[in-house]
Order: sequence, then structure tokens, then C-alpha cells
Amino acid sequence: MMATPETGLLGVLMLLGLLLLGVPIGAALGLVGLGGLSLVLGVEPALIKAADLVLETLTRYELGTLPLFMLMAHLCFSSDASRDLFDAAARCVGHRRGGLALASVAGCAGFGAINGSSLATAATIGLVAIPEMRRHGYSDALATGAVAAGGTLGQMIPPSGALIVFGIIAQQSIGTLFTAAIVPGLSQALLYLLVIALLVRWRPALAPATPKADWAARRQALAKVADILVLMLVVILGIVFGLFTPSEAASVGAAGALLICLWRRRLTASVLLQSLEDTLKTSGLIYVVIVGTLVFSVFISVTGLADATGALITRFEGGRVPTVVLMALILLALGSLLDGLALILIATPILLPVVTSLGLSPIWFGIFIVRAAEIGFIHPPMGMNLYVIQGIAPDVSLSRIFRGVLPFLAADFLHLFLLIVFPALALALPRWLA
Amino acid sequence: MKSSSPRIVRGVVLVGGAALLGAMAIDVVAVIGRHTGIPLLGSIELVQVLVGVAGAMALLIACLHDSHARVRLLLVRLADNPRRSLLRFDDFLMAVFFLALAAGSGWILYELWDSHEESELWRLPYRPLRLLVVLTLLVAAGLMLRRRAGGERP
Repeated sequence: MMATPETGLLGVLMLLGLLLLGVPIGAALGLVGLGGLSLVLGVEPALIKAADLVLETLTRYELGTLPLFMLMAHLCFSSDASRDLFDAAARCVGHRRGGLALASVAGCAGFGAINGSSLATAATIGLVAIPEMRRHGYSDALATGAVAAGGTLGQMIPPSGALIVFGIIAQQSIGTLFTAAIVPGLSQALLYLLVIALLVRWRPALAPATPKADWAARRQALAKVADILVLMLVVILGIVFGLFTPSEAASVGAAGALLICLWRRRLTASVLLQSLEDTLKTSGLIYVVIVGTLVFSVFISVTGLADATGALITRFEGGRVPTVVLMALILLALGSLLDGLALILIATPILLPVVTSLGLSPIWFGIFIVRAAEIGFIHPPMGMNLYVIQGIAPDVSLSRIFRGVLPFLAADFLHLFLLIVFPALALALPRWLA
Repeated sequence: MKSSSPRIVRGVVLVGGAALLGAMAIDVVAVIGRHTGIPLLGSIELVQVLVGVAGAMALLIACLHDSHARVRLLLVRLADNPRRSLLRFDDFLMAVFFLALAAGSGWILYELWDSHEESELWRLPYRPLRLLVVLTLLVAAGLMLRRRAGGERP
């Protein structure tokens, strides 16, 4: 069979079919890639290339970042960091109208800085924050919506699992991606805080004011999270200022989390083993997907589909912003069918050459695609965060959770648009530090 | 499918976990060494090997726990019987993928068996690592086929 863009397109359609049939994402990507390469290049080169990618992926120094950051998150979770972070934020701003919802978003941002997953952030902060907000008479929709949306901060604020995976697939510096994600992550959190402030100003009954904690209680709560905050700052600033590479930062972070667990007297053999098991389980899942994606990427590259798509989009003479808006619409539509990781992994090999042909930075594209994928976490029918939140508050219907998320979703669309119109949101900090 | 023996899971976690903690320790020593003027030469080579072992064990743990990312849009809407059949088909495809990777990895291992492939500074031989990857992929394929034959799914 000839290696033509049409062959590549057929492969993409087959891939979507297999994914809808529930075939594990890594296997679907890998089998389509292997099958396609076998047809256009021959069975031997296809098998050898795929096998070469397996060992290259498993022994890739940069990929060690992923399990080590996960280990750091699991150990921090075992030391009750999520509860402490929410408590500290709640004691500082909880007395304001909507303060506990603000604290939830702040807690998500804080937990996002030690953990790279939207689902884990929504689940861990939700377990603490949602019962607390409901106990204080907050509207179900606001309580669940704030945590579901806040959870997506986990994937944007460094260290981010999605950005590590993107960096590996797109061969971009993970450190630069982390630095580029800081301003978008913080501005996303600020927009969520603004949404809550506007909502409670418009309808004060949504979130009654709660008693104010005295300064001693605030100091006590802040002292409790001082170790976690120091760890976060060491990891993020260490990468930003080039004290160590992201891989080394992950090791420093995991070692720091081990020490914090020990300091808090939470480090037992069973805690360590459970953290290691959870880390290896999630890493294994992601490794299979990465190997599958790399095989699929080779197939797409051989068929010339990415170049053909690039040429097609270049012919669309609408300018940079309309082209990227079009891309965003495609990603959002696909995001309603595929989960975030699958979306990033499938779209990157096809869209990245298009983006570079438009003269845009691959680093900006990494932030843009992760941001677009995040939105898929809170809009139906996939909306994984909505399901996670419903697991925590089973008596709140999905439609009510979605109603609560809608104002945050509007803020997400605005944020994505700002990212398209002002790429400097992502690129200014890495350029300034360089 | 019968649940995987906790002892096997524990063993895989111990090997993978020890490799991961080893990689962590080497990186930390390398960072401290670099900033104190006593660099640990070849630390990346050591970490690569340990991360490779941890990665291989991670693949096994993911298979032992049936922890594979998939799109559940259709699966959650199917009745029990067609859903089970579809999942068995999915497991079969997963096994085929692992077998194909094992075949390719075995092929490379065979070709390079006598080439004494090793790392530059520490002279760490790659042959055992390649062998571990082939075995891991074969075991992973076996686990998926066993799950398919067992038929029981959550």
C-alpha cells in the first residue's frame, strides 16, 4: 500500500472506531500505527521500529519525571496535605461570602502544584471541601461546580502529567513547558475566583458567610502547611531558575515528600508500598499510551497526513487567530468524545506540524492543547471531573453539577480565547527567564 | 478471572519501587554533588537503567490491575453480556499489541546478542534490560489472554 495522506486519514478513522469500541487507548494507537506501518513499509521495519520505541521510552531519562512526581503526590496525599491545604485556605478566606468556594479553588491550585492530575485534584480536594461547603449551607451547584472546575488546575499548574507527556511526544523541553504553564495556571485560578466572587455578589444566598477564624487559628493552619509550601516552591522555583532539571526536580520533590511523611510520622511500610504501587500502576497505564502514540506518530509522519493537513490549513487564508480558533473548536468537539490524555496524544502528531507551519511556538501549543483538553474534563458527555464529583456527592444529580460548572466553563472559554489572542500569556515568562 | 496473587503484585511492586527509589536517590545525590563541586559522573546512565526496570514493572502492575485508559462512551451504555464480549475482544487486541512489541523486541535482542551493547561511562550492559523488556511484554500479553479466557469483568 502507498504511503499517502489518505492512508493516514483511514488510519485516524480506524483509530476513532477502535477507541469508541473501548479498546485501551495505547493498544488502539499502537495497533493502528503498527498495522499501517506494516502495510506501507513492511512487517519487519514496523516491528523493529515499534520495539525500538518501547526500550527508548522505558529508559528515557526525562520520562522518569512522571513516576517520581506521582510518587511525590501520593506521599503528600498520605501525609494529609490536601486536607491541610484546604483548611489553611478556609481559615484565611472562609469567613467571606463564598469564602469556602474560594478556598476550594485555592486548595486545588495548591494541590495542583504537587500533583499533575485533574481527576486526583478534584477527588482529593472534593472529599474535604464539598462536605464542608454543604455543611455551611452552600448551594450544591456552587460547591460541586467550584471543585470540578478547580480540579482542572491540577493539569495546568506545574508539575503537570499532561505537559510531561506532551513534552515527550513533541520533543520539547519539559522545564520550559512548566515555566510557560505558570502564568496560564495562575490566571485560570484567578478567573475561577472572579467567577465565584461575581456569583455570590449576584446571588448572596448561594454561599452564606461563615464565622471568622482568629489570627492564632490562621497562623496554626498556615504553619501546618509550611513544609508542603516549601516543597512546592523548591520544586517549581528550582526548575524555573535552572537549579535542576525537571527530572531532578521530580527526584528532589519525591525525596522531600518522603521526608515530610517521616516528619509528620505518617511514613510506614504500608504507606510507602501503597504509594509505590499506585505510582507504578498509573505510570504503567501512561507508558502503554505513550508507546502506542509514538508508533502511531511514526505512521502519521510516514503517510504525510500532518503535512497535508498543514497545507490545507495554510490555504485557509483567515489569519493566525481564526485558524487557531478553528483548531480549538475541533479540539473541543473531540474533547467531548475522548478523554484529555487521548486527545493530547492523538492530536499532537497531527496538529503540531500545522502549528509550527503557522509560525507558532510548540511550547505555546503545549499549553494551548492541555488547556483545551482540560475543558473536556468538565463538559459532558465525557466530563470525567463531573463523575468524580458525583462519586463524592452521590445525592447531587449530574445535571445540577453541570449547572454549577457552567459559569466556570464560560470562564474557561474566555481563558482559552485569551491564550490564543495573547500567546505571551504562556511565552513571556520563559522568554524573560531565558 | 481469578484475582492476581497479592504475592506476585507485592513482588513486582518491590522490584519496581526499589528501582524508582534508587533512581530518586541517585538524582538527589547528583544534584547535591553538582552544587557542592563533587559531581556524580554518569548519573543519567544509572537513572536510565533504574527507570527502565521501574517502567517494565509499571507495565506489569497496570496489567495485573487491569488499569488501562480507555474511552467508555459506548461501554457504559451496553448491557452486561455485550459489554463483557466487547471487553474480551479489547483484551485480545491488547494481547496482540504486547505480542507484536515482544516479537520486535525479541528480534532486536537476537540481532544484538553478541554485540556487547553497553553504556558509555559505567559500562552497564544493555542485554539484561532488553531481555527484561521482552519477558515483561510476554507476561503482559499472557495476562491479557488469561483475562480474556477468564471472562469475568467488573
